[in-house]
Amino acid sequence: MRISRYLLYIVILIFLLTLPIYTGVYLLNVIDIILIYIALALSWDMLLRSGQISFGIAGLFGVGGYAAVLFHLKLGISPLISILMGGLAAAVLAWLVGMAVLQLRGMYFAIVTLALAEIFRVIIRNLPDLTGGPEGTVLSSAIFAGSSTRTYWLVLAGAIVSIIASEFFRRTRIHFAITSIRNDEIVARSSGIDVFKYLVFIFVITSAIQGMTGGAYAHIYGFVSPEGSFSVDFTLLPIAMALLGGMHLTWGPVLGAVLLGAVSELLKLYIPYGHLLVYGVIIVITILFFPQGILGTLGQRLKKTDTG
Amino acid sequence: MVVLKTENLSRYFGGLMALNRVSMEFRKDEILGIIGPNGAGKTTFINVVAGIYLPTEGKIFFNGRQISDLPAHKRCRLGIGRTFQLVRPLQGLSLLENVMVGALFGNGLRQREARKKAEEWCEFLELSDITRDITRMTALEVKKMEIAHALAAEPKLLFLDEVMAGLNSDETKEMIDLVRKIHSRGIVIGIVEHVMRVIRELTDRVVVLDWGEIIAQGPYEEVSNDPKVIAAYLGEEA
Repeated sequence: MRISRYLLYIVILIFLLTLPIYTGVYLLNVIDIILIYIALALSWDMLLRSGQISFGIAGLFGVGGYAAVLFHLKLGISPLISILMGGLAAAVLAWLVGMAVLQLRGMYFAIVTLALAEIFRVIIRNLPDLTGGPEGTVLSSAIFAGSSTRTYWLVLAGAIVSIIASEFFRRTRIHFAITSIRNDEIVARSSGIDVFKYLVFIFVITSAIQGMTGGAYAHIYGFVSPEGSFSVDFTLLPIAMALLGGMHLTWGPVLGAVLLGAVSELLKLYIPYGHLLVYGVIIVITILFFPQGILGTLGQRLKKTDTG
Repeated sequence: MVVLKTENLSRYFGGLMALNRVSMEFRKDEILGIIGPNGAGKTTFINVVAGIYLPTEGKIFFNGRQISDLPAHKRCRLGIGRTFQLVRPLQGLSLLENVMVGALFGNGLRQREARKKAEEWCEFLELSDITRDITRMTALEVKKMEIAHALAAEPKLLFLDEVMAGLNSDETKEMIDLVRKIHSRGIVIGIVEHVMRVIRELTDRVVVLDWGEIIAQGPYEEVSNDPKVIAAYLGEEA
């Protein structure tokens, strides 16, 4: 049983690695975007499992992007390492913010994270010598000299790292800690769980993923700008994806990212900018009719037939 | 030997004195009853001792160590366990996993060991079908699960906050036997209860709280005839 499962994983991995052979460049670019959204949606969901709602994805994504570009440009650090530095910058930022506001949690935390993107957008816009100001900064070349295959491998690696991190969160004692915290903090504290420590840890890890993703995105397009890098899309779409696919699961946000990512590409072709409207409708339908998301609802159905 | 001692413990909520200079002792091998009318401060007392609220004034000593400033999770790890008046099962975890939480964090065990420990405690409390979802459990089972959850942290002192509430008389009898069984493992028990039969059968000593103050203490028979206690429960004559 176990061996056949590993075999399946290996076959899937080989298929994913060799995907550029079967697909054209356009499709590969669409897949890149989906993989980026998988990392964002999953990392958002990982924090949600502890009951904390973050609206700061775009902020950490943008900070990671700017950090990656600036480390590369100003200090001559290689693109790949500078992407990691982007993750580190987001992690440090999350640590500082977390230490300050995670004592309050809940609504207060959500509001502060909402302000993150706005604050950094303004700061970056007003530091033209360092950041290029409102016009942003353009790199002389994209990462891997624009090779679509290697770019795909990079974002695939990012998505796989996120999936592994998410499964790690679901299978270790972290799962028990954050599920307890989400349910009832007083029970968690009375059971010996250091609630604050866990929340800061999870916020830092998920922010590092978002920062690295932002760094990769910036190097792929060779460009950062206050409006583009901190776009509200990077906050709203991952949340919509996780809700649609199913919260608190690894494969829920992945499924949501694949579905909404593909739909949004189609919609961009037929109704430019109309895709946001469709997103809104999808979110409303999800929340009204299947708040557990696709996988969550399927899981419940299966359980019911199991019992009845 | 005194396991837990509070010295002039007070807790105010704004102008409300929920606890007023409460000095109490929990002795080794003892089942101590804490009774009093609604709003007397019984649950507040547990919350302050367990670290959910910090005391406004006063000190708490656990095995001779001052713990008044320790956060709740550290007090749990030291050996102060508690259940909750309103059951608070953890959704999304199975029965066994609920119990495991206590062993993982209160007792610092690794997952495999914690699972084994949790299985042992479930058996001890006569809980069966332990991998099931907690939405499919009776009231008695949920209460037992919460006790197992607290026990899995290996407490030296366990507070049971109205564990008999909502149980029928057969279930109450079963629960009384279980409390005796837990006590026989050398765990000191502080029991808050409204069902007087339970207090009479189980406790060595009773402390009566009213308006956050201790108004009487001693063996149940003595306390239950104390005019002050009767007045607190029934209201004073005009």
